[in-house]
Amino acid sequence: MRVKVQIAGEGLHPSEVVVQVATAEGAEKLVVDKRSLGNDNTLSVGAPLGRKGDLWLVELPRETMRGSWRVWVKGKELEQEAEEAQVA
Amino acid sequence: MILTDREIKIAIRQRLIEIDPAPNESVAFSATAVDLTLDPDIAIFGGAVPGVRKEIDPSEEGFDAERVALDLATRAKIKADGYLLKPKDFVLAWTREYVRLPTPSRVAARVEGKSSLARCGLAVHMTAPTIHSGFEGRIRLEMMNHSPVPIRLKPGMRICQLILEMTLGTPEKGYQGQFFGQTVGGKKKKAA
Repeated sequence: MRVKVQIAGEGLHPSEVVVQVATAEGAEKLVVDKRSLGNDNTLSVGAPLGRKGDLWLVELPRETMRGSWRVWVKGKELEQEAEEAQVA
Repeated sequence: MILTDREIKIAIRQRLIEIDPAPNESVAFSATAVDLTLDPDIAIFGGAVPGVRKEIDPSEEGFDAERVALDLATRAKIKADGYLLKPKDFVLAWTREYVRLPTPSRVAARVEGKSSLARCGLAVHMTAPTIHSGFEGRIRLEMMNHSPVPIRLKPGMRICQLILEMTLGTPEKGYQGQFFGQTVGGKKKKAA
């Protein structure tokens, strides 16, 4: 799975970018390598770890600014990886 | 289980681990680690200004570690003749190498200092050495000079070592998992 992100700013290093993920608890920011971003501003999060209705528990690729790794996101924030879409 | 030099090289060749640019085959490896080098980009934390008191409160609503760093640090590039890290000075630095540990590879890592530099008082991380399975990017180094004399840092110098470890099993997010085949983001996937 990939989670949609918004660019929130530059990172401290030229290879980095600060992105924002819309979670059930509000926006979470994290620093990622620019190579981690898909062309459509998404980040790979692997398989979802839990589900509560339309909320999905995913693990982000880096710790957020507030110290979280696992966050609940709405289903509309997730997209299939290209290889997953080929399976479907 | 810690990977030996031989296993690290095999994992790199099989693209289970990515290190870019590739480490020098003859000198970057030791028995159970691979050395990484210092990138020229650093962020220098400013010293105390007389009469100005600042504090960091990570528990405060809206705390943002990156903004704290952006506020307290100045971005700079180390020139060929080096950057002099004064006693008790703190900088954020990065490895020149981009590292990728794909989750299915069952590999995690720890970044550690090199003893030759540690003996001079140079710390390369502040108690957060874990590189989790699934990580990709350049490794951030939290560097501090604990010695009484300045230490000259030069771009490309061997600055830290990466110790790679096999994980016992695949992390939960590496599995197709119990939710495979369920509708996500309005898209229906076929069952496995």
